[in-house]
Amino acid sequence: MGAALAVDPPLAAPVVDDQALIAATLAGRGDAFGELVTRYERAVYHLAVRTLHDRTEAEDATQEAFFKAYRALNTFRPGAKFSTWIFTICYRSCCDRLTKRKRLSGDELPDRADPSAGPEALAERSDEAQRLRAAIDELPEKYRTVITLYHLQGKQYEEIATVLNLPLGTVKTHLFRAKEQLRKVLSV
Amino acid sequence: MNYHDDDLDRALAALPLEEPPAQLHARIMAATVHRPAPLVRSWELWLVGTFVALAAWLTWLLVSAPHAMERLVSTVTGTLDSTGFTSEYTVMWMAVGISAAWWISQLSVPRSRRTVRTK
Repeated sequence: MGAALAVDPPLAAPVVDDQALIAATLAGRGDAFGELVTRYERAVYHLAVRTLHDRTEAEDATQEAFFKAYRALNTFRPGAKFSTWIFTICYRSCCDRLTKRKRLSGDELPDRADPSAGPEALAERSDEAQRLRAAIDELPEKYRTVITLYHLQGKQYEEIATVLNLPLGTVKTHLFRAKEQLRKVLSV
Repeated sequence: MNYHDDDLDRALAALPLEEPPAQLHARIMAATVHRPAPLVRSWELWLVGTFVALAAWLTWLLVSAPHAMERLVSTVTGTLDSTGFTSEYTVMWMAVGISAAWWISQLSVPRSRRTVRTK
């Protein structure tokens, strides 16, 4: 009879689903959480950058989101999607930061977009991706977040509604209007 | 150029995600998995704080009450007398018991003679 391995076997490389990684993390496997971070940090960071328009703050918001997720991992509902959960945490963290920013500035916030994202700069941008990104930056906050989540999660409207804590109908309306505005800007 | 819904979806799908800073992964891991456990947990601090406050309050009560120390000393001595702890026989048997317990704790049990045969 072979002796049991004292060392945990490495995580199987390609397809370990999120639920298994969460279970492994809860069992004390730090590398499993590392894998979750690797999978989602880029998307979470993207959401934070698009929402906050500030890379330094987005970095902090991303770290905060993963920290909160790690601490509350035992409350994660089995069967739920980790992406939706982490996006929700990140979005709330971004909203808190925006509220704090508004309180500090005292009046309606100017979006802290990078200075090159103005209308003149937009016209100069030839590359389609850059134009689209600039057009998204020009959207009002509520539309920008919906379109960013649509970009990240695809046509999973219910997941988007969960993250934003909005009715499904509102999400679809926001998405429709956001696309309309984008089309208008990009068709110029 | 006229953008249709499909064009927009295609452009959105092709839009690259923002590149996170190189050290972000390490920062997240340092704040979560590799975060050192706190020396004292918050509930432990609360517990110790409560005990200290309680002890301070009791001490203050004792010190501020008239003849409190004399009454305390007489109560403790009275209790010891009534339970027999001050009797020399009780003290002697307690000493015997404690010595026996200490002596037994120092004994080493001999190993079994059974040996494991190896091939």
